[in-house]
Amino acid sequence: MASAPLAGIRVVDLSRVFAMPFAASYLADMGAEVIKIDTCDTRFMDTTRILNGPYPDNEPGELYWEQGGTFQTLNRGKRSLTLDLRSEAAIEILKNLVRLSDVVMENFTPRVMQRFGLDYASLKSVKPNLIMVSNTGYGHSGPWSNFGAMASALEPTHGSGAFTGYLTPETNGQPASAEVPNKIGNSYTDFLASLTAQLAVLASLMHRARTGRGMWIDLAMYQVGVSFLGEGVLDYAFNKRRTRRMGNRDDGMAPHGCYPCHGEDEWAVIAVRNDAEWKSLCRVMEQPSLATEHRFGNTESRLRHQGELDDIVSRWTSTLGQYEVMESLQAVGVPAGPVLNAKGLLTDPHIKARGLFERVEHPPETGLGHRAYLGRGWKLSDSEVRMGGPAPILGEANEYVLGEVMGLDDAATRSLREAGAIGETAAGARVPEVPSLERQVELGWTVSYDPDFQRILRDSGQA
Amino acid sequence: MALGLLEGIRVLDMGPEIAAPFCARLLADYGADVVKVEPPGEGDPARLTGPFAGDEPHPEKSIPFLYLNTNKRGVTLDISCESGREVWSGLLREADVVVHGFSPQEAESLGLDYDLLAQVNPGVVATSITAFGLTGPYRDFSATDIVICAMSGLMYHSGDSDREPLRNSLNQSLYVAGANSAVATVAALFHRMSTGIGQQVDVSAVECLSTHLVQAVPFYDYMGAIKGRRPVRGSGFEELMPARDGYVVPSVQGSQPWSTVAELIGLEALQQEKFESGAGRVEHGEELKALLIEGLATWDRKPLFQASGERRLVFGMAQDAGDLFDCPQLRERGFYVEVDHPAAGVAKYPGMGPTLSEGPFEVRYPAPLLGQHNREVYGEELGYSKGQLTALKESGAI
Repeated sequence: MASAPLAGIRVVDLSRVFAMPFAASYLADMGAEVIKIDTCDTRFMDTTRILNGPYPDNEPGELYWEQGGTFQTLNRGKRSLTLDLRSEAAIEILKNLVRLSDVVMENFTPRVMQRFGLDYASLKSVKPNLIMVSNTGYGHSGPWSNFGAMASALEPTHGSGAFTGYLTPETNGQPASAEVPNKIGNSYTDFLASLTAQLAVLASLMHRARTGRGMWIDLAMYQVGVSFLGEGVLDYAFNKRRTRRMGNRDDGMAPHGCYPCHGEDEWAVIAVRNDAEWKSLCRVMEQPSLATEHRFGNTESRLRHQGELDDIVSRWTSTLGQYEVMESLQAVGVPAGPVLNAKGLLTDPHIKARGLFERVEHPPETGLGHRAYLGRGWKLSDSEVRMGGPAPILGEANEYVLGEVMGLDDAATRSLREAGAIGETAAGARVPEVPSLERQVELGWTVSYDPDFQRILRDSGQA
Repeated sequence: MALGLLEGIRVLDMGPEIAAPFCARLLADYGADVVKVEPPGEGDPARLTGPFAGDEPHPEKSIPFLYLNTNKRGVTLDISCESGREVWSGLLREADVVVHGFSPQEAESLGLDYDLLAQVNPGVVATSITAFGLTGPYRDFSATDIVICAMSGLMYHSGDSDREPLRNSLNQSLYVAGANSAVATVAALFHRMSTGIGQQVDVSAVECLSTHLVQAVPFYDYMGAIKGRRPVRGSGFEELMPARDGYVVPSVQGSQPWSTVAELIGLEALQQEKFESGAGRVEHGEELKALLIEGLATWDRKPLFQASGERRLVFGMAQDAGDLFDCPQLRERGFYVEVDHPAAGVAKYPGMGPTLSEGPFEVRYPAPLLGQHNREVYGEELGYSKGQLTALKESGAI
């Protein structure tokens, strides 16, 4: 049987919110033992445990901090140790745990880690070959080093808005332009930082295996974001070009865009790369005469007539479903596909065949049953990589970590519990009030909802 | 000290375009010895992709190519012709990683499918990056960046709720696929250290982007709700809003009370109790948005961003490439590194995302000229004689 790449690697995960918890859960998928440092005090809890939801059927239960779907996705396969980091005893336990671990991941601001005495220099003195990721908005050096950050505000700050934005169509001979920046959505920068952290940790593990040396990874999300837009910044370095927004168009393909389909908020994209594909599109649209029209004869001339082309293509797609557009054009080799939403992904036959979603069984007290979670975009043929289980119940590994891993006896564990340094129940918990789904639709938080979603998921083999 | 985390790992970057070269570039930045293998003649099609340095179309001046291939050496080789195949076997036997971005059909016709690679080098980690992966009903479908963005689910959530979904630009799907590939490849390399086995890495660009939907998927899976694009009706917080000289993202996140936010923006009318809670800001969203626009109109982006950071708030601002290039934060962190390229000239290039304690990012090679290292790699490393190299050149293999 195949083994897991990171079997035997222990990770202490002090991180919160999205980027680093997600990175650590990937390390868990790869076989690392990831110990999430939780806390019982809801004021200091990882915000995804208590703020993000979504809850089963939109009804948070008594143990709502175990029930958030986003929290579950970002923390699957981990263990949970609760520590109140304000106590010296907890800091001491943490340091002893780091001594027995390989990797530490955290995303506090520099001053918090120093205050706790958990900065890299301090931890290195207990674990000389430690690999540690310190994730911040802007990095541990430089004039912005103490600025906090959230991905949704970081994304345009690191330049994505300079390259993303709607086109205002051409009018009265004015060419189409895109003056207003837009956002990619979904806290894009978090995922870039998550990937960058995973790669840096894996490369550092290779390095440590060969040299015995540790590593401190100063991960600035801002800097990471710019590294994914490097060609845009290099264009400025060479040509002083500041932005290049083009809506859904492309400077080397036409027609190219996102077109309305038959249903409500249903769209398909099409990208015509060359003249042969243009002729194929015309045949599929049953408008063969377009293929011989001189003004659409080559890419250059089609780029000059994109407004007109978009109208022609939109008229055709409006009569079809998004999958019909995909099937008819893919049959003749033209790149095209549906704009899928989460429901579309969960019900798509290819995604199902690929096994992107993995089913996880939850402990009964969570009331979650079995659920499908997003796995990884890659597969290894001869290593075992998979979700090891659900996100951990608060403090479920207290006994395991303190006893089995660290060798504390029962009396010591008991006195820690009595002193409030560890625990298994949330303090200050108050079941959140969530707006009804009808209200969420009114507010624009959701587009719509399917009361029979469980049946839809079952029919697609995802429930 | 140069960054040598992956020192001694030989990577063959077979291209084309963005995803596989970006994967190989990341490995190169960590110290791997990356040889870019291009078809003789025109080379990697990325060489024809603009914009170009000096806006002058030239195969050695493509800006995407320069960015994606810095820190690599380059050779030319026709791996499908007979004399080229023998050279290819020699290269492959010495390789730890082969990474390519060809479709399953193209890879098979080039002889890059895993079974063939493993016959020559059973220990190789062979990374294939495709839109849909190597299995499943869509495996042979055609795709470009916008198709990947659409089918991943990311695009549906990008843009405004009252308009069409919006593609995020600069081929982000292919960069994200490249970075995922680097993660998976190094995981396989690390595993090989203990097991000795090579393997195939099958990366789907669509699925790489799908993993960003950590909110939208549970929304459906937990309660049947479809999360859409950003509502245009909200209070304006966490969104791009106009300031005097461009756009900013005002934010209430960051654990500071509302009064700090209102005080920063500096408009008296914002200091109202009804705006203090999240629920209140939702309920009075339209009124708040109008006040916010009024307040932001007195601010330029950078002073507002600076003042926000000093108050421990987390506002953002829309920066363009020029802002990023001149950014004092990136400059002080040594992010930009000067590179002297024989055809494109000297420029400061963006460096690595993370900053590592073992040493600064270093540029060992500018992006290779087409076939620049043929003699070095084939002659000095594989032992081909001058005469043999001439014969290979005449046959069109290199």
